Amino acid sequence: MDALIEKLKGQIIEQLNLAEVKPEEINPDSPLFGEGLGLDSIDALELIVLLEKHYGIKIEDPKDGKTIFQSVRTMAEYIKSQGKS
Amino acid sequence: MAKAYINGTGCISPQDSINSQWFFDPVTPPSGDYYNAKEPSYKEFIAPNLLRRMGRAIKMGVAGANLALQQAGATKVDAIITGTGLGCFEDSERFLLAMLNNNEQFLTPTSFIQSTHNTVGSQIALIMKCHDYNFTYVHRGFSFESTLQDALMLFSEGKESVLVGGIEEHTPNFVELNRRAHKFKTYDPAIPFWKSTTPGIQMSEGAAFFVLGKHKTERSMATIEGVQTLYKPKSSDVILKKLSAFLDSHGLSLAQIDVCLMGFSSDVNFDVHLKELLPEIEKETVAAHFKHLSGEYHTASAFALWTATKLIEKQELPEVLAISDRKPSQIRHVLIINQYLGINYSFTLVSKC
Repeated sequence: MDALIEKLKGQIIEQLNLAEVKPEEINPDSPLFGEGLGLDSIDALELIVLLEKHYGIKIEDPKDGKTIFQSVRTMAEYIKSQGKS
Repeated sequence: MAKAYINGTGCISPQDSINSQWFFDPVTPPSGDYYNAKEPSYKEFIAPNLLRRMGRAIKMGVAGANLALQQAGATKVDAIITGTGLGCFEDSERFLLAMLNNNEQFLTPTSFIQSTHNTVGSQIALIMKCHDYNFTYVHRGFSFESTLQDALMLFSEGKESVLVGGIEEHTPNFVELNRRAHKFKTYDPAIPFWKSTTPGIQMSEGAAFFVLGKHKTERSMATIEGVQTLYKPKSSDVILKKLSAFLDSHGLSLAQIDVCLMGFSSDVNFDVHLKELLPEIEKETVAAHFKHLSGEYHTASAFALWTATKLIEKQELPEVLAISDRKPSQIRHVLIINQYLGINYSFTLVSKC
């Protein structure tokens, strides 16, 4: 799980162009939206594309995004639960 | 038509034009066949959460607008008008390349949203919380001139302040393709632009913004008296006739112009009319040029307007701009005669206020 979390941090930084953020500065349990990284709705779309592009996971119901994208850890857990890690 | 007072300027170009002392320092023309803009540290102008999504055109535009607003002491304007030939090229290319590379799948929203030509004007409006008139002209070599014409019409309709700007960015792919097509040539300081006998230009990029006002303020630096565009004039005689009529409509003759800033590009094919025009201009006034400093791009006329404003503000024609040894005794009226690829010609009359 830890390796997947670290990999995800790098992919999020690249996809969202968070040039000022270092992977070690991202707390895997901090909220991605609002607080924490302070992401917004456009970033949510970018994260959906990230999951599809890198892990072949399609989020069919946008409501699921709220749970999946709570934190880097919830993202990693979701990827693992889909057997795609 | 109303005239416009220039109350603030901000210019990002291949020169150190962001530095207000630049005009006094010795100015060195850039070298090579393509000039990249000297970009500032954008963190001083744009919040980090906005910065990460912006392409270079947007960053240059927002920073240029910010500088102009700061200089004018303005926080609000009645309209924002931008002009660009190619728009947000970097994000357009990024989006299209992602389409090609990923088989039209996994397309991300950011580069698409940021790729439209009006992104610069809309980002400025969002940052300023300006919900008024917002327009972007994409008229190739007339893009910036169109912003000025629109602003002058808005003043006639009662608007009080307008932010106008010209923005251009290029990408390494664009530069490489143009190099392969032999569109560029390396700048040779030994051959003055108006004596060039070979094709090729030094292309470039940049952004210049102006806060224009209907009324004179203590910060007013110059006035824009009028702008006229000419599409593919057949000869220099046609240009001269149109120019005389343009100046006449402002109660002036060529002899009353103190400096004529000409848009020589160093391409023998594009400069043919301006070359023929030069002796006529030099008979009556002092000729100068600017594209050896700015390079050529769709909205280089915005750099020319910024230069004209500086000439009037400083009352000095730097040697690096002069075409001959003649110096104007004073600078009341500057006439810009620009051309882009020998297709789009324009006159802009700038006066002391």
